[in-house]
Amino acid sequence: MLATRIPDVAARLGLALLFFFALDGLAFRTGYYASILTPDSTAGFLETYLWIEHHRPITYPRQALAVGDSRMGLKARIANSLTPETRLEFGTVAVPGTTPRCWYYMLREVDPHCDRYAAIVMGLDSYDDRGFENHNDRELDINYLTPLVGFRDLWAFASSYQSWPLRIHAAESVLFKGLVYQRDVQDFLGHPRTRLQIAAIQHRSASEWYYNSVWERHSLAGMTVDWSSRKLTLPGWLDAHKRQEVEDRLLGDPPPYSDQLARYRRRWLGAILDRYRGSRTRIIFLQLPRGPVVRPGAASDSSSTIRDFAAADKALLMDSHEFDSLEHPELFGDAMHLNEAGGIEFSTMVARAVNRMLTQAGR
Amino acid sequence: MLFHTPRFFLFLAVVLLLFYGAPRSWRRWILLVASYFFYMCWNARFILLLITLTAIDFAAGLWLARVAAGPRRKAALIMSLAANLGFLGFFKYYNFLASNVAMLLGLPVHAFALDIILPMGISFHTFQSMSYVIDVYRGRQRTITDPVDYALYISFFPQLVAGPIVRARDFFADLYRWRAPDAREQLRGVLLVVFGLVKKLALADQFARLADQYFAKPAAYPGWLAAWSGVVAFSIQIFFDFSGYTDMAIGLAQLLGFHFPENFRRPYLARGITDFWRRWHISLSSWLRDYLYIPLGGNRRGRWRTYTNLMLTMLLGGLWHGASWNFVLWGGYHGALLAGERVLGIQEPGSRWRWPDLLRAASTFALASIGWVFFRAANWRASFDILGRLFTGPHGHIVWPHWMLWYALLALLAAGFEEAGQWFERLPAAPAWAYAAAIAVCLFCLELIGFTDRAVPFIYFQF
Repeated sequence: MLATRIPDVAARLGLALLFFFALDGLAFRTGYYASILTPDSTAGFLETYLWIEHHRPITYPRQALAVGDSRMGLKARIANSLTPETRLEFGTVAVPGTTPRCWYYMLREVDPHCDRYAAIVMGLDSYDDRGFENHNDRELDINYLTPLVGFRDLWAFASSYQSWPLRIHAAESVLFKGLVYQRDVQDFLGHPRTRLQIAAIQHRSASEWYYNSVWERHSLAGMTVDWSSRKLTLPGWLDAHKRQEVEDRLLGDPPPYSDQLARYRRRWLGAILDRYRGSRTRIIFLQLPRGPVVRPGAASDSSSTIRDFAAADKALLMDSHEFDSLEHPELFGDAMHLNEAGGIEFSTMVARAVNRMLTQAGR
Repeated sequence: MLFHTPRFFLFLAVVLLLFYGAPRSWRRWILLVASYFFYMCWNARFILLLITLTAIDFAAGLWLARVAAGPRRKAALIMSLAANLGFLGFFKYYNFLASNVAMLLGLPVHAFALDIILPMGISFHTFQSMSYVIDVYRGRQRTITDPVDYALYISFFPQLVAGPIVRARDFFADLYRWRAPDAREQLRGVLLVVFGLVKKLALADQFARLADQYFAKPAAYPGWLAAWSGVVAFSIQIFFDFSGYTDMAIGLAQLLGFHFPENFRRPYLARGITDFWRRWHISLSSWLRDYLYIPLGGNRRGRWRTYTNLMLTMLLGGLWHGASWNFVLWGGYHGALLAGERVLGIQEPGSRWRWPDLLRAASTFALASIGWVFFRAANWRASFDILGRLFTGPHGHIVWPHWMLWYALLALLAAGFEEAGQWFERLPAAPAWAYAAAIAVCLFCLELIGFTDRAVPFIYFQF
């Protein structure tokens, strides 16, 4: 008796789920809500970068895109001042706090058909598979990527995490967008008009702000390191917090080889390379300037994931010493990031190097 | 294992599969084992207490069946009541009594205190047990001769922890004439579970944040507006928390082919305190009426005796909720209001709403909210401090975020529609799209507003 009636109940519940996903889709999958996310939120921050890249006027046929985290200090304004010489126009989606998993989905968003760029330049801390953090289980990526992942990503995205709680959280961000946007939605419901005004201002002005932004003007000029006693002398303008950061970064132990990082890079950088395989786009890796000073005796590993990619002709590798000349205190604003002067130098060098590599590759 | 956690839904799925997949003769066993497992997930040791009480009351029922009349019959009743009240008294009220005695003797409050854990749901299952034995004694309930059936009545997991308090005749009528729920009942069951989740996660837990914030530091939010908003937040929280739980309990039982009584009927639309108690925690108030108020004489022994009976019933009803003077004050406050309504000769509201009823409903809500201060505040001093803040000082500011004002209004509007049209009961029979849309909106609401940072226990679990 029960069995004959189950289909009716199941059909209604199925229809309810369908309606629910329709509501969820209307609210969060059309792209509108992502465009009005709080710009200060992680996802809103990333969305702003992507929005700028989507709406960037294209004035030159040969386009290049810089991808990376906050250390990828390419200033598009500087790189583009060289366009007559390099025949390249740069955009950038170097978003602080992002990692290759984010880059994969970001690239899919800004270049859905793999035909927009002649080169995609990715900045990495090191070509070596060395690191402290396990990027596979990086929860922050879920916050960044919620607007970008859809139903088709359910398996790939969720299974890219190693712990079950994070896999479930990642799956939630694919299936139930509202759950991840909950705080943002509640904030929006509290002040809808203000939020819409902020979003409008952001869309109107963000690209201008980012394109013309001026970075840290201070430098670490004057800093000295006594490696034998592990003593650091820093310029007076740094506050206690920044001093500590610089000390930890420069005097701490070098990162060990990480099998996790190697696996992570194979998975996500590999996915990016696979996506562009057969396209006219060349993926170029560059090793970022390591810091204002470099520990003596620092050597590179002979093989690594990145080098294997290059060896297999999947990607182009800039010389790992390309930016050694920038590893000076006067070009850094802290232990990790180039300052305004460093950024200008770096951007000029990257623009020229990319042009040179593309030319050599026949592009 | 809380009803609103993924773990519970996994448990439920397994129970439903086993229950409907097994031969009919096994099903009582499956439910009993599942119920004991559910109880043991909280604290496995206390299962012995539950089984002991079950055995005592089951034996009392058998004894009553054998002894037709006389002192031995009364002895069976007294033995059972003493066991139930003894266990309840020890676990729930020992430390309260001990601390008061210690204070009277001028000793430290904890001088006689014991480290006692309150067994989950003891207030509910002891009342359920007592109602069975009293009904058998009065000849209103047939003795149950199968221990499995009786054990299932006491421990049935949908209502084990926080009710509703189900009468034996209703439960056994369902058990002995069990039939699989038809499509409409299944749809109603699912709807109740989803509604219950929305009430708990999207309403109660959201308002809990505001209430917790205010009651933790009332002095940080000066002004009567702040005080009222904090108190009303708790009024909203406790209603949605308990009625959400109850909806889920009723829905879960319905999915298993059992029919639990209604426990809440839009109590904040009550037009008087008497009306409020006909709508709030109905299974407890009717229990208190049938097993306490009426045996005390009810309203049959004159005006003053009626007031005394009302006061006594509500004081005990208050104390049933918890062992503290706050609950006694809360019960006394409601007893006084009930008696006051009778003194003033306030008429029962009619079935149709008139404009003055809005004022009556608003004042009843305000009076009920004032009562909740005793329920929520840490002690009686804090209660009177907050009560003072409700009526004195500058106006201050409402402690709610803007959107929650609209949210509460929306809930009130929905309650108004339900009061007028009984829409909920019509939904399972409504066209498929309407039913599906209602569920979808609930799920969407849970997605956007459901409090999922952590599972907040139901308030009534502590009773």
